[in-house]
Amino acid sequence: MSATGNLASAPVRASDEMLRVRQRALMRHRINQGLVYLLAIAISLWVLVPIWFIASMALTTPATVRTFPKGVLPFIPFSFDTMQFFLNSQGIIPGLINSIVVAIITLVLSTIIAAPAGYAISRYIFPGRDFYRLSILAVRAFPVVILAIPLAVVFINVGIYDSVYSLALMHTALTLPTTVLVIGSVFASIPYELEEAAQVYGCTPLQAFRAVVLPLVAPGIAASAIFTFVMSWNEVFAASILTVRNRTLPAQVLSTLNQSSEPYQFAGAFFMMIPALIFIFIIRRYLFNMWGQISK
Amino acid sequence: MSKTLKVLSLLMVAAMVFAACAPAAAPAPVAPAAPVATEAPAEAPEAAATEAPAEEAAPAVGEVVFFSTQFVPVEEQEKFRAILQQGGFDVTGTEEGPLLDVLLAGAQSGVSEIDVIGALHGTFPPLQQADAMMNMIDIAEDLMADRELTAAYLETGLLGTEDFLYYVPWMQATYIMAATVDALEYLPEGADVNALTWEQLGAWCQTLAEETGGPKCGLPHAGLFHRFLQGYLWPSWTGGMVTTFKNDEAAAMLAWVRDSLWPYINPQSINYAFMQEPLLSGEVWVAFDHTARLLDAFNSDPEKFVAFPAPSGPYGLGFMPVIVGLGIPAHARNPAGGEALIEFLTRPEVQGMILKELGFFPVVAGVDTTDLPAGVAIEAEAVAAQSNAPNALPALLPVGLGARGGEINQIFRNAFDRVVLNGEDIRTVLDEEGANLQTLMNETGAPCWAPDPPSDGPCQVQ
Repeated sequence: MSATGNLASAPVRASDEMLRVRQRALMRHRINQGLVYLLAIAISLWVLVPIWFIASMALTTPATVRTFPKGVLPFIPFSFDTMQFFLNSQGIIPGLINSIVVAIITLVLSTIIAAPAGYAISRYIFPGRDFYRLSILAVRAFPVVILAIPLAVVFINVGIYDSVYSLALMHTALTLPTTVLVIGSVFASIPYELEEAAQVYGCTPLQAFRAVVLPLVAPGIAASAIFTFVMSWNEVFAASILTVRNRTLPAQVLSTLNQSSEPYQFAGAFFMMIPALIFIFIIRRYLFNMWGQISK
Repeated sequence: MSKTLKVLSLLMVAAMVFAACAPAAAPAPVAPAAPVATEAPAEAPEAAATEAPAEEAAPAVGEVVFFSTQFVPVEEQEKFRAILQQGGFDVTGTEEGPLLDVLLAGAQSGVSEIDVIGALHGTFPPLQQADAMMNMIDIAEDLMADRELTAAYLETGLLGTEDFLYYVPWMQATYIMAATVDALEYLPEGADVNALTWEQLGAWCQTLAEETGGPKCGLPHAGLFHRFLQGYLWPSWTGGMVTTFKNDEAAAMLAWVRDSLWPYINPQSINYAFMQEPLLSGEVWVAFDHTARLLDAFNSDPEKFVAFPAPSGPYGLGFMPVIVGLGIPAHARNPAGGEALIEFLTRPEVQGMILKELGFFPVVAGVDTTDLPAGVAIEAEAVAAQSNAPNALPALLPVGLGARGGEINQIFRNAFDRVVLNGEDIRTVLDEEGANLQTLMNETGAPCWAPDPPSDGPCQVQ
């Protein structure tokens, strides 16, 4: 009887204390969560405010851009004049097409070359593997600025100068090191035991790769491919040295924007930003995937 | 042990160099495997399409590939393109660095994809050293048959040689002052805005700062500020640019700038690249800049702004004319087309259009200046007043420094920044930067240029 009484009263006392403890924990949790949200909002603003500012300045009249102090309210008056002038100016649309062509060829070439290389680096142990892995990065250790003139000379002598396709070759060379290493770490994150298991159940190595590994690494490879795309899209220096008439968009506009007045700088920034934003929206899930796997 | 280490490290370096070079070449053999198979048909017709017309039309004008470091900003480029299209030409804007790289690569490989370049005087000396340009003397002589090119600029185009003309002068510009009409009310007693002295400018800026609630004078510190130092401050206070770089007069000038001018300059000046924008927005009432970088203000509101010559110092009115030239690369594919383009751009009526729409001043006689837009007319008057002033002291852009032309700008900027912005001791700074300047002169072997007296050997800092 007393035992049950004790038992009955004990939980009440305990729950009273527990309640307080739980309340305090809940409070702390809420404060923590609030702080996390606050931090997240601050970081988002850090990124979004400039984008917002660029967008609003690009889509208003040049006179508004010049006013001082600048208005806080965006898009008033809304005007497409600056953007239209910018888009109609010579070379923007062909440059855009060239940029896309170069970036797509770069993406295809570098994925085709880097995927087997990455697989080999992560799966096979061969003499000089670590050295090989390191020396891949050496390509990036040579600044393009130093190589610029010799490269252009070679391209002219071989007869592939000033062409979108040869620029894509250059971009492939520039992006390969990162692509190989990223794809290598994507493969490294898939346990080899999975392949072994598939082989135990009768798959040939090739079948095991196709049926088990490929579906698992596809998102990672896609992410690295799009990363390659963005790298090629943003590359200016090689593009402005190796092309004369067939310029890519960044090569076409960067020197121009650098010396243009503010309204056009905003318009150009806005136009260059859109593709990057679209890409990031499409790939953000894969992007986390890629970085998550690298950190392993 | 150490021997094997050495051999190993040598091997490693060799391997790294190989690795760096190999991938650039590697894609070529790999490429035909997959994607190029589908691209090849697409590539062939396009290459043919771009090449063929140029070759066929070569006897006539053909496609002329014209690269210009001038008129690069979007609005200017579109206006310039509209003018060029009347002659059937087109232009690509470029920065100086990449243009030099492409031209030097062309000189080394014996094929230049560019037919004509339009660039500042200072762009040509590195091309001279690499032997990358064609002699334009015959072209200039042909042109002189029916038009009169400014003789002084043909002289500078020789770059110190006897008969190798590196460029045909194309146009000129300079740096002047601009102010709002309101600012004129605050001019010091007895000062003539068209014949200011530096002290009067300082007093003017001080009055403006004290009576309008904040500093209203502006300088393009993020823009072409080094020209303000090289072509205006130093020559007018010391009579020279390089020889007098660190003398006592230069020290006195820097002390004056630090104590009596900079405190009344809008602190935003360190961010200004083009003064027309702060002038239009009202942040700045009195400014110094390149004519092309002020034009927008004069054109947008000609009633509100006045242009006037730069101030004078003890040695006169130091100012810097900017000369732009047209040259043909040594191995151009279409030199005849290049010649036709140069003929077109030096026609008086085309020079007149460039003056009207873009604010660069002609180098050919007989340009119609009657019907200029308000902004250009305002500037033209100030430019004329500046170069025709009785105490005018023209200072040329640095000559003969080759690819190291940017270093002299940095030396002047460093001297200014260290003294005026960082408050370092003037004598120490001038001695250190003067030593850098001397090293630069010795290493490039550049003789003095105006306003310094001519020298045999490298220019000496005294």
